[in-house]
Amino acid sequence: MELWHSHILRETIDQDSLLVQGNRACALGALDSGVRFFAGYPITPSSEIMETMARELPLVGGVFLQMEDEIASICACIGASLTGEVAMTATSGPGFSLMQEAIGYAAVAEAPLVVVDVMRMGPSTGRPTTPSQGDVMQARWGTHGDHPAIVLAASNVADMYRLTMAAVRFAQRFRTPVTLLADEVVGHMRESFAPELVGRYRLTSGDFDFTEGYLRPDMVREVHPPHTLGRKGHPHVTGLIHDDTGFPTNDPKKSEQFLLQLHDKVVHHRDELCLYDVKNEGKGRVCIVAYGSCARSARAALKLAKEEGLPVEVLHLYTLFPLPVEIIQAVARRCEFILIPELNLGQYAREVRKMAENWTTVISMGKIDGTLITPREILDRLEELIGKYESI
Amino acid sequence: MPATIDEYLHTEHFPHIWCPGCGLGTVTGSFLRAALELGLKKEETVVVGGIGCSSRAVGYLDFSTVHSIHGRALAFATGIKMAHPQFTVIVLTGDGDGAAIGGNHLIHACRRNIDITCILFNNRIYGMTGGQLSPQMGEGGMATTAPYGHEEPAFDLCRLTEAAGATYVARGTAYGPRELQRLIKGGITHKGFSFIEAVTQCPTEFGKRNAPKGAIAMLEDMKARAINAKKAAALPPEELVDRIITGVLHEETGRPEFAQNYTDMLTRVRNTE
Ligand SMILES: Cc1ncc(C[n+]2csc(CCOP(=O)(O)OP(=O)(O)O)c2C)c(N)n1
Repeated sequence: MELWHSHILRETIDQDSLLVQGNRACALGALDSGVRFFAGYPITPSSEIMETMARELPLVGGVFLQMEDEIASICACIGASLTGEVAMTATSGPGFSLMQEAIGYAAVAEAPLVVVDVMRMGPSTGRPTTPSQGDVMQARWGTHGDHPAIVLAASNVADMYRLTMAAVRFAQRFRTPVTLLADEVVGHMRESFAPELVGRYRLTSGDFDFTEGYLRPDMVREVHPPHTLGRKGHPHVTGLIHDDTGFPTNDPKKSEQFLLQLHDKVVHHRDELCLYDVKNEGKGRVCIVAYGSCARSARAALKLAKEEGLPVEVLHLYTLFPLPVEIIQAVARRCEFILIPELNLGQYAREVRKMAENWTTVISMGKIDGTLITPREILDRLEELIGKYESI
Repeated sequence: MPATIDEYLHTEHFPHIWCPGCGLGTVTGSFLRAALELGLKKEETVVVGGIGCSSRAVGYLDFSTVHSIHGRALAFATGIKMAHPQFTVIVLTGDGDGAAIGGNHLIHACRRNIDITCILFNNRIYGMTGGQLSPQMGEGGMATTAPYGHEEPAFDLCRLTEAAGATYVARGTAYGPRELQRLIKGGITHKGFSFIEAVTQCPTEFGKRNAPKGAIAMLEDMKARAINAKKAAALPPEELVDRIITGVLHEETGRPEFAQNYTDMLTRVRNTE
């Protein structure tokens, strides 16, 4: 597939400027990874994603729908996905809440789907134009029941592009809904963004070459036989617990097996799914574990820390779920402290603590006043921690 | 091409979940006979249900079938139809599924005039969950959640869908399965949004608490109250109180259909860009 044939991008390049907004980069990543169906409902700070899709999708023969609400939006996407279309929707907190029941349906029906949640301050209407990372645990556990979840977090404009592509790929390969989290700042920031540069990005132990565009990847082996509507075999799809025929079962053994298989297909592939990046690896006594816009501050704080000669490393997570257990434990084994700056009251810190507390002290640095965590704030905390450490 | 409606059924999943005397099977039978007359292809016919006793019909049908979530069948169907306009898309829903939790999707599907046929099984009660009130129950009805009698009026779903933009609106009853078959067939062949209200009996949950009781009495009552739209047109309104007006109540062919309109827009945009 030809990449970067999007109108908006061509226009931007023509004007000699490569400033692209995060939400737009997300839409471009979706188009370049083969998304051809988008249904959504406007909500700040995510609307530019749907506005871009509204403009671009018809040009590539795709379907764009503004539905009557977020429930209808995600359900229309699932309907399209069940016929084999590559579908995506985007929203923010209130809309993400409305989508939860359907996310569970997509998990049980094994319908590939990408849901982008550009987080704003909550709960409720909250502060719509203010960044937050308050939906992290909702992205993991928002829908009822035991279900798998793949959750990615974008920290800049390039991430919005390539992680959308990764989300599409994961959704297809694992046949499950994938949530991409961004926050208001990441969605609305404009950065210079050169397509050639995003092409190859080392995200994980495995290399992702995004210049290859969208390839319908082989499904992982744990996926139940897929049921594509309108194909031979006229399948039945249901949100009830079912067996391989697609029809419901009340058999305890089969039910357990079904749910375990959903779980295993994600957890057994942590190596592939956990995207991350370590800076100053092995040189820190403190490791900052960060994601989303906080990871930017963490990286900047690392620079300042180096200038001051503080022993710090940064683990930047692009995948929040499935939990990067081995990666966190490796850091926990070598560092005295793990510091987690995040725009919530320590949602992800609790997860990290569970994985790391046998080896290290996990310190949550949560902030909920609607402002970003600055590099200086992180540095202050680092100095304090390392000072404490020195004096022990 | 199937020779009998049995070939459109997953009989291996019988016995079905419906109670003795329930009208849902009768309505499903009318749908299947209409499908047989039209020779609907199993692959290219997608039947979507919501949640409820009525929506469970999709689990017995040998088409491409989707048992979706409560109230959202039309939203799923919209995605399916827009992704593949060549499919025949049919929605089976209940009065709770389609008119309460799914009411918003119903009026918007009407407004879009998308080529979907929606058959709403109206038994005036929540059967699946054990006899709670439905918005279609009407004043005075008794339900587990209206133990002293329901205080709210019901929708006239046919007038509602017509006003919202449906271009084919009809009503039939489980007492008249042949008429229902004809009405459903008309809905499926109509290009645009078709809404068919199928008035049906739930002797178990409705009949337990409300008169008349029992399937036969309920069907007799339906027979007595049903009146064809043409006959009804000649009567003054006071004689139509409590009557069930059946037949094609509204049909309009000039209005553009949504999926077609969208496809035309794609051609236009791609030619000018
Ligand atoms: C979101 C949600 N709320 C509630 C339910 C429980 N529920 C299942 S079926 C049903 C009512 C169905 O009534 P109706 O549509 O009239 O269908 P019937 O069973 O009478 O055919 C309800 C409330 C559910 N499955 N999902």
